[in-house]
Amino acid sequence: MAYDLVIKGGRIYDGSGMPSYMGDIAIRNGRIVEIGRISDGARRTIDAGGLAVSPGFIDHHTHMDAQILWDPYATSEPQHGVTSIVMGNCGLALAPAKPSDHDAIVKSFVRVEAIPRSVLDQGVPWGWHTYGDYLDALEGKIGVNVGGLAGHIAVRQYAMGEESVERAATAKEIEQMKGLVLEAMESGALGISTNRNERHMREDGKPVGSRLATDEELFALCRVLSDLNSGVIETILGLNKIDHFKFYDRLARVTGRPILWQSLQHRWAEPNLWREQLDAVAPIFEDGYQAYGLSHTVPLVRHFSLKNCQVFDEFPTWKAIMFLPVEARREALKEPETRKKLRADLLDPRRTNFHRRWDVVRVEKCVKPENQRYNGKSVAEMAALRGQEPLEAFLDLALEENLDTVFWNANNGGDAAAMGEILRSPYVLIGTSDAGAHVQFGADFGYGTTLLGLWVRERQLLSLEYAVHKLTFHIASIFGLEGRGLLRPGYAADVAIFDPKTVGAHEPEWANDYPGKTKRLIQRAEGMHATIVNGRPIYEDGKLTGELPGEVLRGTAYRGRQAAAA
Amino acid sequence: MGVSYIPVCRLGEIAAGELKPIEIGDRQLLLVQVDGGYAAFARECPHEAADLATGVVEGSRVRCANHGYCFDLTTGECQLPKGGPPLTTLPVEVRGEEICIKLEW
Repeated sequence: MAYDLVIKGGRIYDGSGMPSYMGDIAIRNGRIVEIGRISDGARRTIDAGGLAVSPGFIDHHTHMDAQILWDPYATSEPQHGVTSIVMGNCGLALAPAKPSDHDAIVKSFVRVEAIPRSVLDQGVPWGWHTYGDYLDALEGKIGVNVGGLAGHIAVRQYAMGEESVERAATAKEIEQMKGLVLEAMESGALGISTNRNERHMREDGKPVGSRLATDEELFALCRVLSDLNSGVIETILGLNKIDHFKFYDRLARVTGRPILWQSLQHRWAEPNLWREQLDAVAPIFEDGYQAYGLSHTVPLVRHFSLKNCQVFDEFPTWKAIMFLPVEARREALKEPETRKKLRADLLDPRRTNFHRRWDVVRVEKCVKPENQRYNGKSVAEMAALRGQEPLEAFLDLALEENLDTVFWNANNGGDAAAMGEILRSPYVLIGTSDAGAHVQFGADFGYGTTLLGLWVRERQLLSLEYAVHKLTFHIASIFGLEGRGLLRPGYAADVAIFDPKTVGAHEPEWANDYPGKTKRLIQRAEGMHATIVNGRPIYEDGKLTGELPGEVLRGTAYRGRQAAAA
Repeated sequence: MGVSYIPVCRLGEIAAGELKPIEIGDRQLLLVQVDGGYAAFARECPHEAADLATGVVEGSRVRCANHGYCFDLTTGECQLPKGGPPLTTLPVEVRGEEICIKLEW
């Protein structure tokens, strides 16, 4: 047989953002060897008729450092078309580590990333010492491709021990840390991550070590990447402030490396912040440097009725009424005097999370047949149809339906116009899945399938070609993942096959698949037919295949060193 | 235009340090002893909706176990990070042997 696998008859979205086209893809020895009309035989053919064929997605913001040690698929990544993950974000990594550092590292993961201690105690088979040892320990045992960043917290712990969470480093310690970063980079790290978030503490309440680093220390470590001309610098500084852009600007110019900063999203409470952030970062790009904002695709949506309603808790009269027994609540909402107070609450000029915009709140589901015509309309539109003022219409409709009308609201990510500009921006890196972290609180494995389903198909904010580009080659380019992220001859055969008409993410659900049968949240996808890593399907027709074709993704510093040695 | 006291628990039914789930008006709340009195607050973290029943009470504040947001249990103010979204808190009064939520509108 000429080929190992042929994917036949799909529409190819090649990751470049260029127009899609019909074609077959032939794969041999884990690589794409031909694209076009393939007639030669293959050991296996996948019929992709009517489906989209794209490069596998690259989830660049995960905390899979621990989970990948017991779950080679990093579930639920393959279910959403992800073929490559990057771990070691936000300063946290499991290497380098001496035995005496293990507990300190676990303390950071437990608190910052909300991974239960019992899970880490049972699931992490310590045994590595250097960063390179850790990456080597993954070789041959993984279903998805895995790359990692050198974590500043682990590096500092290794060099300073427990004093890393108590003081600034000496010049000698900084030199030692530089050596550790160099070792990590030359072993394959894709960059370095650091953490200055004021909320990020260890399990014992002490700040994570990187928070005590001076600029001198951080810049010295980042210059290691400059000298190697390799790797990204990933940062988390805490609550978003425009002041932070001075820091990103300086770091980008001093190091010449791509900076990744967290985060950029539309929030009604600060509806212009995202634009100010994009404006603030533009001069960095205009001068030829890179500082990408990480953004999410999953809006924080509330479905509520006035029987169970948290949306108005910031307003005292609303709050009191929404906690009354339902019968008393109905009576209160009818009172003209109460309505006056409710209206006055909403006019209070202080800043609140609730945006007070009736053109944003939507009627999702009415109960009575005569009110079905309001479904899907904004409260403002519904009020206009009823010839009422929005607040009166909102309350009257709910009362007519015994408070059972379901409404929709989104405080974050709910403005399609803003989301369009954010998602299309070349300065924005899509994806903050945090996969492998906060495992009992949320699951956003489906940030990519949400992008394709909600923002491309339903809202039509960007083309499928461009969305695929943002999930694949855009990321591969920034992280230096040579030979990945495109469907081109010679490239790794990392492929997602999905139905653009149905692709999307399900709501998270509970599973007991963590060490010790600990529960955590997983997420299924809709419309994802197959996920192929290095030419071998790892997920197909709703099931993991048992194949382990994943490779450790090593950065350009490693490859350069290997080439020099050869 | 009224005041209502809703009993949620009897004195002695909540231990020191306990985060006791209560429900009023179809809403889930947590009741806790604090500074010799009681505080009641929404079970859902206002940041990303995590369950605060898994949180930690530290003096007069609660820390969410998900992302570490900290809230004053009396005012609901987000203390860490400053400027974060506020937690929903409700006034609590002891009336006789009963711990009551006071609703005033």
